[in-house]
Amino acid sequence: MKRTVLIPLAVAMIASVAAPLRAERLKVVTTYPYIASIVEQIAKDTVRVDALARGDYDPHTIVPKPSFIAKLRKAHLLIINGAQLEIGWLPPLLKQANNASVNPGTRGFLDLSGHVTLIDVPKSVSRAQGDVHPDGNPHYYIDPHVIPRLARAICTKLSEVDSRNAAMYKKNYDEFAARWKAKRASWDAKLRRLKAAKVIQYHKNMDYLLIRYGLVRMGTVEPLPGIPPTSKHIAELEKIFESNTIRFILQDVYNADDSSRHLSKKFGVKMVKVPHDVGAVREAEGIFSLFDEMVRRLTQ
Amino acid sequence: MSDILITAFALSVVLVGIHAFFGTEIIRRGIIFTDLAIGQMAALGAAASLFFIDGQFVYPISLGFALAGGLLIAWASRHTDNLEAFIGLMYAFGISAVYIILSKSAHGMEEFQRLMASDILFTPQEEVVKTAIIYAVLGVVLFALYRRIDGFWKDALFFVSFAVTVTSSVKLAGVLIVFALLVAPALIAIRVGGGRPLVVAWIVGTLVNLVAIALAHRFDFPTGYTIVFCNALLALLVTIIPRRAKRG
Repeated sequence: MKRTVLIPLAVAMIASVAAPLRAERLKVVTTYPYIASIVEQIAKDTVRVDALARGDYDPHTIVPKPSFIAKLRKAHLLIINGAQLEIGWLPPLLKQANNASVNPGTRGFLDLSGHVTLIDVPKSVSRAQGDVHPDGNPHYYIDPHVIPRLARAICTKLSEVDSRNAAMYKKNYDEFAARWKAKRASWDAKLRRLKAAKVIQYHKNMDYLLIRYGLVRMGTVEPLPGIPPTSKHIAELEKIFESNTIRFILQDVYNADDSSRHLSKKFGVKMVKVPHDVGAVREAEGIFSLFDEMVRRLTQ
Repeated sequence: MSDILITAFALSVVLVGIHAFFGTEIIRRGIIFTDLAIGQMAALGAAASLFFIDGQFVYPISLGFALAGGLLIAWASRHTDNLEAFIGLMYAFGISAVYIILSKSAHGMEEFQRLMASDILFTPQEEVVKTAIIYAVLGVVLFALYRRIDGFWKDALFFVSFAVTVTSSVKLAGVLIVFALLVAPALIAIRVGGGRPLVVAWIVGTLVNLVAIALAHRFDFPTGYTIVFCNALLALLVTIIPRRAKRG
């Protein structure tokens, strides 16, 4: 009598625990939209992916909202840019979300910066020296040659967390990589024409792309990362403009562009607003159109 | 999710508890900006620690700066007729000094803002309990002593306890929330009238915070700014809308 009650009860209990796992789509949370866009390429609609930050905001400082914590709590997998780009806003969110399965070092966590070689890794880190990214420059994904590597890392991680769909992820990755290769050939052809062009950036967030295509970095509008331009620094920049032919000033979409505008007007050098992430400008709707638009703005 | 909102709400109630007292007092004395001036001195201490000694002893140093600021205002309140100007300039001095110091530090301003104002969403439960106990003790001390003493010592007690409170509250919830919770419920209570402004401020503040946190959750607004917005909006409305004539 007891057994006839207990067994169905036990079965029901196990089923109630297991059922959500089966029925529920894998929930992936990414810090930035460009990562979410790559995840969509690899997983299509087998997973639910949410990016925390918006693409048109300063990636260094994201204002936290209640939904961020809710998303992190429910997440099965968290994918971050890493290299300390999220250091200013993600750690307290993770702490409050208190979701042990997506904490750094666990299976449900992927730091993409571990799959690339970073530049500008400081020998010693001191605030006064002007370096707060001790891991190196974190804006590595701006180079189209790096994206497939990130996609592969995401594919591997998805397969690890959700092994039943591993074959599908692999197939989607192969398709993505092939499409990307074709696209990249056209971007390469256009960007290579900019070789040896001298540029000034607002922030050092385009370095990986500039180095890839052999552009010459002549300086930044901000005197130190995260510090607004000072008059002395602008005077120094003006000397660079006077004695060099600067092709353009690269400005991001989230910092004030007054100083870049001033330099652009004074020296007749074009200021180009370059999208740094999916959603930074209207045209950059996904990972492909982000690079399409970036290349279009740099070469038009 | 609800646990975090409850923690945020609990913190806002704890903050209203002590700040409503200081709020009614600074409105009565006409020195609203004392809060911002002291908060800015605490910020200057934190910036100095961050830049010169890599962020060591942030709390004691910023508390020291805040206490110095509080004592200076206490002194000035007896020795100058232009107290409000003095307080305003202390604020301007603090904020400009912070900018000058951090202008030599890469991403220093972001680091600094994190240090100075953690988001109310991120407050751990144990911090709320700890703060509630400290503020309760402080409240009892103020309640017992404040009416019995007079003259400079009264001012010194007021400004020192105010400096301590502002420094630790700002660390938990950010300068804007502390300012809003300090001034808005107290102003509403004074405006509404009645014999016990402190009790009215507590009730009003608690209700407004409850609504604000519910709104922030419902519409996914940043929690801290929603609390500031609701408190400020209600205080402005209560001030603008004419009071019913008492006679008739």
